[in-house]
Amino acid sequence: MAFLNHFRTAYLKSFQGDRLNKQLFFILRALHKSASSEALGISAAGEEAIPQKLITPADVGEKPRVKTLKEMPGPSTLSNFIEFFWRDGFSRIHEIQMEHRKKYGKIFKSRFGPQLVVSIADRDLVAQVLRAECMAPQRANMESWKEYRDMRGRSTGLISAEGEEWLKMRSVLRQLIMRPRDVAVFSDDVNKVVDDLIKRVCILRTQESDGATVLNMNDLFFKYAMEGVAAILYECRLGCLENDIPQETQDYIHALHLMFSSFKTTMYAGAIPKWLRPVIPKPWEEFCLSWDGLFKFSLIHVDKRLAEIKAQLERGEEVKGGLLTHMLITKEMSLEEIYANVTEMLLAGVDTTSFTLSWASYLLARHPHIQQKIFTEVTRTLGPGTVATADDVPRLPLIRGLVKETLRLFPVLPGNGRITQDDLVVGGYFIPKGTQLALCHYSTSLEEESFADALDFRPDRWIRKDSTDRVDNFGSIPFGYGIRSCIGRRIAELEMHLALIRLIQRFHIGVSPLTADVKAKTHGLLCPAAPIHLQFIEREN
Amino acid sequence: MALVTALRRLAHARLREYSWRTPAVTSGAWRTGQRSFSTGTQPLRSDNKVTVHFINRDGEKISVKGSPGDSLLDVVINEDLDFDGFGACEGTLACSTCHLIFDEEVYKKLGPVTDEEMDMLDLAYGLTDTSRLGCQICLSKTLEGMVARVPESVADIRQSKDESA
Ligand code: FES
Repeated sequence: MAFLNHFRTAYLKSFQGDRLNKQLFFILRALHKSASSEALGISAAGEEAIPQKLITPADVGEKPRVKTLKEMPGPSTLSNFIEFFWRDGFSRIHEIQMEHRKKYGKIFKSRFGPQLVVSIADRDLVAQVLRAECMAPQRANMESWKEYRDMRGRSTGLISAEGEEWLKMRSVLRQLIMRPRDVAVFSDDVNKVVDDLIKRVCILRTQESDGATVLNMNDLFFKYAMEGVAAILYECRLGCLENDIPQETQDYIHALHLMFSSFKTTMYAGAIPKWLRPVIPKPWEEFCLSWDGLFKFSLIHVDKRLAEIKAQLERGEEVKGGLLTHMLITKEMSLEEIYANVTEMLLAGVDTTSFTLSWASYLLARHPHIQQKIFTEVTRTLGPGTVATADDVPRLPLIRGLVKETLRLFPVLPGNGRITQDDLVVGGYFIPKGTQLALCHYSTSLEEESFADALDFRPDRWIRKDSTDRVDNFGSIPFGYGIRSCIGRRIAELEMHLALIRLIQRFHIGVSPLTADVKAKTHGLLCPAAPIHLQFIEREN
Repeated sequence: MALVTALRRLAHARLREYSWRTPAVTSGAWRTGQRSFSTGTQPLRSDNKVTVHFINRDGEKISVKGSPGDSLLDVVINEDLDFDGFGACEGTLACSTCHLIFDEEVYKKLGPVTDEEMDMLDLAYGLTDTSRLGCQICLSKTLEGMVARVPESVADIRQSKDESA
């Protein structure tokens, strides 16, 4: 009990503190479980020993003995506790990953209160785990998301659903937006958004005294990504890149910011036991408030399209449209499921894309020689003034390399979670079913073994000599792998490729004297720890 | 475990559903970005079937026929071939479980590989120089009699074998 009290103090302490981590959401959630004296995690019990029935004669014989979780190395509970709760480890989670990898090896365990997390920080072991996945892998505990949906009578979406429900929606959605050729048709829609991005760059730089600098690139890319995703998901424009942003779009941005900037509170919303809510109501309230805002926005746009379709049908007209129209017409998902999924997809598709674009342009600015090489490739391949589409991207390997290399150095999700669905043996350790795993993508991305001179920015390391040339890449799988990998991957890639091509064609991107070294920090996602200001200097064409 | 089995069955059922649905819904109409929803009839298929010989993980040869234009994944599903874990992402280039290995001569006839396929191939288990992803290969008359080998499955790290299910 002393420990629990202790823990609660820390809990409140960091609750007031800043910067907490989305990925550790599940950890806190589990902490809550114990605090509210619900069952201790399965993993806590599982650490004891290998169940007898699993020890086969072969294990006892010449094969190396399968070790128990008890024998697995890892930081002590106390030091981990101090690291995270007092030293704000949540914002350095990517660095801690590296430190622990060095200290404890490829696989190690950490405790957050009673919750055990097994970290997998090795390319081959990550591959093993992901290859062994069953039909409906589970990422982490999403109970609070589910609770909100139940409360409001809303459906879960791809992020929050599990099991059969998840699989059903995934099966519908992947048929629509995962195949590269199905996504390529959105090139024109995305290019219109890129037009506006370029215009916006030109306007913003005139506002600075040097006539070249754009302040806080991420703010701009945030709007670009949001506009891009909405153009595809809602089949309409939001006006994010206009001088005057429409009120309902502003409201949405506000809800989104609330969701992210107050992650410390929103995640606690799930972590704080229900019985404590009367005492600490704010986190749960904010959590609900931001979700209300996000849902409201989706409802507006989905309903608008639905009304248009109905009107068209009444007039006996042929209905034409894109993704949303397709979903509304085919009715493979219920209207509530459509609301939930477009809401979650918009939520998942904005910051991820904007952080990556911010890092990519930052890296280009910091490496003018590489930028020049890519510029040369683009102009030689496309000729001056050509607006590229998805069909041109295969002829621009350095553009693809640029995005891959950016995501290797700054994987937007520095680690991903899995809850094991079977008993596994990984790296010689027995890991019982129901254990929370953390796949350490950040540390595997920077492994010398997989990537020579791992800290160097080298987009050309991804270039193949020919189609049988293999580029070993399990170390860097920023979108994940397999059936629970990122559903928006191809859309995100398209948005990034087309934006970067056009920016590189038109401008020389330089570092602004206002921006020094920008480090990464974890705030749910891996993001720039300081604003990135860049110069956009017109190229002579 | 019962859930997993149920899910597998469900996924399988859905796969079958998609294999006949796919041509009507995805490929054609999307190409223009704008699509029409008034019709949904399936294009007529020619009767010129193509024979494919699969060699499963036990080394057994299984000979089946598929229609030109079908992918090798379609064939596996239509013919109900039981290659454990094959085609997990339903041909959407998110996994590499539809990995197949070909003879050199066949490999050369398979048509171009996209970047996305190469990226996913890099993640395939037991990759060879003549590996491709089955969901990306479309049957044509020139491939008549082709042999496609299903590679060894990944060493199973799962420890719970469910005898009761
Ligand atoms: S079935 Fe997943 S890539 Fe072919």
